Amino acid sequence: MDEFLYIQNEVMPALMQGSWISILLIIPSALFGVCMGVLSATLRIYGHPVVKFLGDAYVLLFRGFPLLIQLYIWYFGLPRMGIYLSPYWASVVAFALCSGAYQSEYIRGALLSIKQGQIAAARSIGFTQFQTVVYVVLPQALRRALPGCGNEIIYLIKYSSLAYMVTCIELTGQGKILASASFKYVEVFSIVGVVYLLLVSLATWLLNTLEKRFTIPGFEQHRA
Amino acid sequence: MKTESHPILEIDHITKSFGKNTILSDVSLSIQKGEIKVIIGPSGGGKSTFLQTINFLVMPDKGTISLAGHTVNPSNKRGLCTHRRQVGMIFQEFNLFDHLTALANVEIGMVKVLGMKKTAATDRAMAELERVGLKDQANQYPAQLSGGQKQRVSIARALAMDPMVMLLDEPTSALDPELIGEVQSVIRDLGKGGMTMIMATHQIGFARSLADEIIFMEKGRIVEQGTPKVLLADGAATRTRDFCSRIAEIGGE
Repeated sequence: MDEFLYIQNEVMPALMQGSWISILLIIPSALFGVCMGVLSATLRIYGHPVVKFLGDAYVLLFRGFPLLIQLYIWYFGLPRMGIYLSPYWASVVAFALCSGAYQSEYIRGALLSIKQGQIAAARSIGFTQFQTVVYVVLPQALRRALPGCGNEIIYLIKYSSLAYMVTCIELTGQGKILASASFKYVEVFSIVGVVYLLLVSLATWLLNTLEKRFTIPGFEQHRA
Repeated sequence: MKTESHPILEIDHITKSFGKNTILSDVSLSIQKGEIKVIIGPSGGGKSTFLQTINFLVMPDKGTISLAGHTVNPSNKRGLCTHRRQVGMIFQEFNLFDHLTALANVEIGMVKVLGMKKTAATDRAMAELERVGLKDQANQYPAQLSGGQKQRVSIARALAMDPMVMLLDEPTSALDPELIGEVQSVIRDLGKGGMTMIMATHQIGFARSLADEIIFMEKGRIVEQGTPKVLLADGAATRTRDFCSRIAEIGGE
């Protein structure tokens, strides 16, 4: 009975608040991450050599540095240069840029999978390179990249828990505080885990819906 | 007959190499308005590359191309886009935009390149689809169409841009035999309508009946050039006739 009251009165309110912060971290990071991915992948393939080099450098750097180190740099490092980010914004910037670097690779793969013939056809009716990319290549490539991009977003949902390392108290942070106070690690972290599972399930459902919505007739998956 | 007027398209001493391989060496050709020239010759002879250099999908190393008296400057990107939209191109592999319906495939160039209003573009696109006999398939996606239908959509897409010249790169080579006829008849109608065309093909019979002039290309050069009557006459000792009879033996044409 004590157990139940503890969970109802202390754990749930704290975790609800933590979940809300987590969601506020995840949504802008995921959206901005996808945008960074699309932009950097496109520029890496079709851009001027200098831009291409910058894109490659971005991906190398942000996939190469451990995410925790990136978070520390954004939160603890930047103030040395006079730039102060709140724990929340430092986390969003770190997650978005890191996620974007991974998205960049999924999208680059999809861009390369579009046949040269379609690009030639677009050029042959007078499309500029920019129009070809925007109207012919990207609409198809993004559909193909969707499963991979979704995978990265699901991964992001879970690495958003690192935010509590820079004092942005989200779901995992709240769990840590509760558990340290009550020593009920199993109970608290089981519930935290279930909340992440729910968030991931929701994201999976949303991504599947998107995938179905954008399926091109004739490309459906036929099951025997 | 037509030789008095200025040629609509003039290709002057085009050369193209990829690395050490010379694909085109010093190829020149001029074509009058309404004329149909058919390029035949062995695979790897440079037919495809030649057609692609005409609208600068492949940049020639040397030589010039003039359309309607206007010489194209390859370093002017805007000028290249203008040139390309005035030259229609049909590909062996159709190359429809897979994410768009047949109608949208035909429309998109008019809307994005010519800046036409959507409704006007739709009307014109429907008219072009009707011309190639595909009005009823307008809302189908490429993956739902047969090869012959896809190629006809691609012809409609090119026609919608009002090209001065059409380049056809083996338009029937990727088709099942029973579908070749429907595409050939669309091309034949285009010719009757006065469209200027340069076509590469392996269908000798089709070439013979359609061409004002046959061009035999081999190893990156134009080896022979003349009317089908002369080049393919019984007993004519031409490379063209020799090649055609060998193809006929294999293909049973």
